[in-house]
Amino acid sequence: MINKSSSADIQGLWQSQPTQPPNISPEDFHRKMQKFEHKIFRRNIREYASGIFVVVASVFCAWKLPAPLFRAGLGLTIAGALYVMFQLHRRASVRPAPGDLGLRTCIEFHRQTLERQRDALRGVGSWYLLPLFPGLLVIMIGTAINQWTAHPGHLGHLVMGYGILAGIVGAVLFAVWKLNQRGADGLQVQIDEMNALRGDP
Amino acid sequence: MASCDELYEEAVSTHGPALDRLARAYEADPELRRDLLQEIHLALWRSLDSFQSRCSLRTWIYRVAHNVGASHIVVNRRQSAHELVSIDDIEATEDRSSVANIADRRIALERVMVLIRELKPLDRQVILLYLEGVDAAGIAEVTGISSSNVATKIHRLKNILTRRFQAGGQS
Repeated sequence: MINKSSSADIQGLWQSQPTQPPNISPEDFHRKMQKFEHKIFRRNIREYASGIFVVVASVFCAWKLPAPLFRAGLGLTIAGALYVMFQLHRRASVRPAPGDLGLRTCIEFHRQTLERQRDALRGVGSWYLLPLFPGLLVIMIGTAINQWTAHPGHLGHLVMGYGILAGIVGAVLFAVWKLNQRGADGLQVQIDEMNALRGDP
Repeated sequence: MASCDELYEEAVSTHGPALDRLARAYEADPELRRDLLQEIHLALWRSLDSFQSRCSLRTWIYRVAHNVGASHIVVNRRQSAHELVSIDDIEATEDRSSVANIADRRIALERVMVLIRELKPLDRQVILLYLEGVDAAGIAEVTGISSSNVATKIHRLKNILTRRFQAGGQS
């Protein structure tokens, strides 16, 4: 049987925990925003570095390998990588918050930043994956034709090999798309939380 | 009518410690808990702009704080894949774990904290409000569930808590 004194004991024990005074200020929020901005900045640096690597490697390969279709594929890849870098800058570059914002403006700025990054991640299929697809396709067709010309008797093996390769490339592109959608979902949770607080909690 | 800043100061002076305890119940990691507490205070400060005395300030504060806490659980569960349970599940399995004889109130408190962190958001909200001394009507107002449902949950919670508390030892 539960008596009142034991209930009161539990409540008393709970309420007697030492607590810390709250510490919240625009500086705290600025720090939080900066943390997010640094994360985005580091991600973008990685993406730009990857884009530059793709462009340099493609130029090198185009210089070394004279096959016209292969060269055309590399050209498309270079164009795709440059387009992706441009879109990354346009859609998802870091826009640092001015240091003198008040708390309210600071929060609104952060919400807009989250929305911008969410939209960038949501649309990753159209501005990140799709532009790289034509180059990949033409390179694969180009190398396949080259190999077929060199070994005309092995058409069956060639089709199967490139079928598997296409499947792997497709799976990687899908995984990249899925990961970005998950990232967008995570940002949406934070945005919903901030939006919910505009009306009744 | 009081300004947003005045309301926030009143909220912190009257319920600041309760918010701190609430953050502990939602997050065990001290670093993440500090972030969560800041999130709660930010949300509260921001929400008070639209507070129009349609409910008590206390109800408003707890609703905002629990909304933030519940969102925190959603994000955290994606990372930890930790399954949350209801009061009913806890009550059904409680007897198996309440056999230890630990003569330490601090440990008793820790066990209560572990219990709270296992609960689903709504049950967690009820238990925290109960521990803060909010009556059944107040809990019903904050959570939006019926008073009779609250009374049933509190009855079960008292059973569970008392067993854990006694298992944790009374000094």
